[in-house]
Order: sequence, then structure tokens, then C-alpha cells
Amino acid sequence: MDFFVYQNSYVFVAAFLLLGLLLPITALTVGRWLRPHHPDPLKSTTYESGIEPFHDARVQFNVRYYMFALLFVIFDVETVFLYPWAVAYDELGLFALVEMLIFVVMLLIGLIYAWKKKVLTWT
Amino acid sequence: MDIGTLLSYPWEIMMPEFIILIAATGLSLTDLFLPSRVNRRIFGWISAAAVLAALISLLTQAGSEPAQILHNTYRLDSFSISFKALLLFGTLLVLLISTSYLARSDVEEQGEWYYLFLAALLGAMMMASSADLITLFVGLELLAIASYILTGIRKKSAESNEAAMKYAINGGIATAVTLFGFSYLYGLSGSTNLGDISREISALSADHGHALTVAAFIITFVGLSFKLATVPFHMWAPDIYQGSPLPVMAFLSVVSKTAGFIILFRVMLSIFPTVQGFQPDESLYQSVMIFVSIAAGLTMIIGNILALRQNNIKRLFAYSSIAHAGYLLVPFVAFSQMMFESTWFYLLAYVFMNLGALAVLHIIISENQSAHISGFAGLYQRSPVLTVCMTIFLLSLAGIPGTAGFMGKLHIFIGALFADPSRYVLVSVMLVTTVVSYIYYFSIMLHMYMRPPKRYTKITWPIGATLTIALCVAGTLLLGIFPGAALQFLQEYFWFNDMFTLN
Repeated sequence: MDFFVYQNSYVFVAAFLLLGLLLPITALTVGRWLRPHHPDPLKSTTYESGIEPFHDARVQFNVRYYMFALLFVIFDVETVFLYPWAVAYDELGLFALVEMLIFVVMLLIGLIYAWKKKVLTWT
Repeated sequence: MDIGTLLSYPWEIMMPEFIILIAATGLSLTDLFLPSRVNRRIFGWISAAAVLAALISLLTQAGSEPAQILHNTYRLDSFSISFKALLLFGTLLVLLISTSYLARSDVEEQGEWYYLFLAALLGAMMMASSADLITLFVGLELLAIASYILTGIRKKSAESNEAAMKYAINGGIATAVTLFGFSYLYGLSGSTNLGDISREISALSADHGHALTVAAFIITFVGLSFKLATVPFHMWAPDIYQGSPLPVMAFLSVVSKTAGFIILFRVMLSIFPTVQGFQPDESLYQSVMIFVSIAAGLTMIIGNILALRQNNIKRLFAYSSIAHAGYLLVPFVAFSQMMFESTWFYLLAYVFMNLGALAVLHIIISENQSAHISGFAGLYQRSPVLTVCMTIFLLSLAGIPGTAGFMGKLHIFIGALFADPSRYVLVSVMLVTTVVSYIYYFSIMLHMYMRPPKRYTKITWPIGATLTIALCVAGTLLLGIFPGAALQFLQEYFWFNDMFTLN
């Protein structure tokens, strides 16, 4: 790896950082110059797609949503790994098969754990 | 690749890891299908037996030639065998304390308790024998995540929950810093293999200077200092040790700390000693040691000074463990011929004296239902034997001659003074802070011998803690009186320089 390429890539980081700072600053400043200034109590109420806002925004979600999301992510990742392996199966051969079996068995233990700990039931 | 090539690899060098993996998986499946009314007590003895079996199979590997498998990501050399022995032995003692702890505690997930310890141990062992940044990181995370869950395993206790939350957040930050440092190492060299990184960085620094290499060293060190509990990542230790169950605290302060030193040694010593330093006649490793020696000095001073004011015995031991991590950084800074020997010996002494003291602590805390220092009052009148055991551990932690702790400190001193250049300042800081540490260790003794007891009930000796105390007393005294035996064993079977060959 070329050292200067590595160091020079930070120029891009700096450029994007500068751009990211300048964009909102410019937009807000120009907007302030252009817009009329007439404050009014109705204008400072919450705007929610035209519906009157009701009760608190901070409500508790059922923790099971997180459990399901977590399980979904694990098996989603498993599919992502399985797909390229299945496509290239002929070239990879036995070693990859053994590796994939180990991987699937490990995830299977995770599924059994979730099942026995009653994560899969909703009530 | 066919089955013949697959079987031709020397898989037997991973035997200890396989034993732990099979035990952990087997226990977790058994725990899931066993009805909940069955007592999980037997799990403790099964996992202790598995750890013992792994230790024995590891010791049969001592003296073997260094070997690598799995595309050079797994590596077995003298360094990994000798330090893995410490990890396994420490975990064995922690599991023995656990069997006594769980007999009277509010932990509901007793099965999980044991296989999480085994999973954490597996992560630490992978760290000890890996020569690749990715495997090292996966091992580090396996250890860390299992420890987060273990810290918060007392679900109904607010203290335990708070500790787990703090540990997970602090640990996440430290992991991010470590990975940031690793990303520099990878960015500079284009490889995750430690040997390749070393070669690439040596070639680069000769042509392009040091700025990024030094940044990589410092950021990685700061990230790894979390596991060691040294400055700048030390403040988590007291809160988390106080909140977590006692065997988990023992695991964090001994096994997890040892694992931290293992990954520090592996990463830093594989990469930096061959890189040209600021001066023509020194390596970059020696050039940046000034930062580490400041961190080590501050760790010793902060740990020992803050321990003076503690009334909670778990917090006191947390600060004492910070101070010990500071002493253990001294050989790392000195970089002498004796570096590995003195670190290994001190860690072994630390396993004996700290786990022994924590086993006594377990008996005292479960007796009083509180971790206040006054629980030790009048212990001599209630149980002279326990008092004498605790005295031996405290004398060893303080570094009084005749104990393992003294021999360990002596080796560190000699190594640091005979190093080139000698580390006089660091050695004097260590001497002064050791003397400061006498105050708080002896204040526990003051309580045990001089204060009147609150009640005269007999102390019960649970079997696991008793076994641990007996082993630790024997170890502390034997290492203190015949330190030559352990060092001779080390010199006969291990050549630490093979860490730098075979890449």
C-alpha cells in the first residue's frame, strides 16, 4: 500500500468535513436574510402532518420487538453468508462445507437457546 | 481442498480450546433441556473438570516447537502456552469460588453462569495464541461480552445492573479506541497478520517518518489499557468490582487482566521492536516507552493513594488491583531479557495471592451480608486459621519477604535496573508506592487482630472456597520460599524468543 495514498486520503475526509459544516451554516444564514420575521403563538405549536398532537412522544415499546429484531438480524446475516457460498460451492469444496456446517450449527444452538428461553412466543 | 489435506493440519495444537468449547456448548444445551427443578450445582464441578483437563492437555504441549494453523491466524508458541496456563489456572480457582458463591445467592441463571465463564475463558485463550489482528479482536470481544453479562447476572440487584451498564458503556468506548488504533496498523501496512505488519511498518518508517506509527501505538495502548485497568482507562474498576458478584470480580481482576497483558504483549512486541526509532540506535518501541512509563507511574500512584480512603473492602481490592497492574507495566517498559519471566512470575503470584484473598473475602462478605471493612473485626478470635491465611495473602500483596509477592516484585526491580537504559525513576515510584500500600493492607490486619468482634458465631467453610484458600496458601508460600522451582520450569520448557520467529 502506498504511504502517500494513505495519507492523502485524509484530504477527502477534511474536504467532506468542511462541506458538511458549511452547508447547514450557509442554508440557515441565507434563509434568515431572505425570510420575513412575524412571530405568532400558533406558529410555535408542533406540526404533525396536520393532525393535532396528542399525549407524550416517549412511550415504552414492548421489549419483544427488540428480541425479534435481533433474531431477524442474525438469520439475515446467515443468509448473506450462505448465498455466496452456495453460488461458489463447486470451487470451494469440502473444507468450505465443513466450515459452513460449523457456522450453521453454532447459529442453530442460538436458535434453540431463544426457543427454550421463550423468546419466540409473544405473550 | 479435500478431506486429506484438511486432516493433515496439526489440529491437536488446539486441543485445550476444543475441550473448553465442547464443555461450554455441551453445558449450554444440557442446561436448556434439563427441567428447571434440577439443581445446577453439578455444572460447577463439570466445568472445573473441563478446565483442569484443558490445563493438563496444555501442559503436555510445553516444550513443543512453535506451530501455526488456520492460515497463520492460530499460533502456538512458548508465550501462548505459558500464559494460557495462567488463564486456565485462574479460571479453575474462580470456578471453585463460584460453587460456594452460588450455593447461597439470588442468581437464578446458575447454568448460564458456568458456561459464560467458559466462553470468556475461550476468548482469552484465543487472544493468547493468535497472530492476527482480527482473531485477536474476536477473542477480546468474546471475553468482553461474556464479562458484561456476568457482571449483571444478578438481575434483581440494582447494584449489579448499574455495574453491568457502566461496564458495557465503558467497554464499548475502549473497544472503539482499540479498533481505531488497529485501523491505523492496518492502514499503514495493508495486512492484519502481525508479522506482515511489522515488516511493512519497518520499511515505511525508514522512508516516511513516524507520525502515524506513533499515533497507532498510543491509540492502541490507550484502548487496551481498559482491560488492564491502568491509566487512562482505570476509573471503571472500583464501581464495577463493587457491583458485580464476587467470583465475577475475581475473574475480572485476575483472568481478564492477564488476558489484557497477553494481547498488549502480543501486539506491541510483535510489531514495534523492529521499527527504527527516533534516535539512530534505538527501536521505536524504546522511543515511545516514555508514554507507557508515565502511564505506569500514574497507575501505581493513583491506585495506591485512592485505596487508602476506602471503607468498602471490594473497592479497596479494586484500587489494589489497579496498583498491581501498574507494577506489571514496569517490565513491559524496561524491555529487558527477563521481561517475560518477571511478568509471568508476578502474574502467577498475583493469581495465588489475589484469588486467595478474594476467597476469604467471599466467606467474610457472605457471613456479614455487607462488604464494609468492619466485617473483619475480631476475626482472629472467631477463626484463627482463616485469619492466618488472610494474613499470608495480605503480606504477599504488600510484598513482604518470604511470600510470592516479594519475589515477584524483586524480579521486576532487578529486570528494570539491569535493563538498558535503567528505569531508576519508575523503580523508585514503585518502591514508594509499595510502602504506601502497606498502610491499607495492614489496616485490614488491624481489624482482624486488634478490634473486638461483633459476634462470636463460628465461621462456616464452604468446600469450593476452602479448596481455593488451601491451594493459594500453598502456592503463595512455595513461590515465596522456592521461587527457583517455577523459574527453572519456565526456563527449561519455554523459549520466549520464538514469539519473533516463524512468520
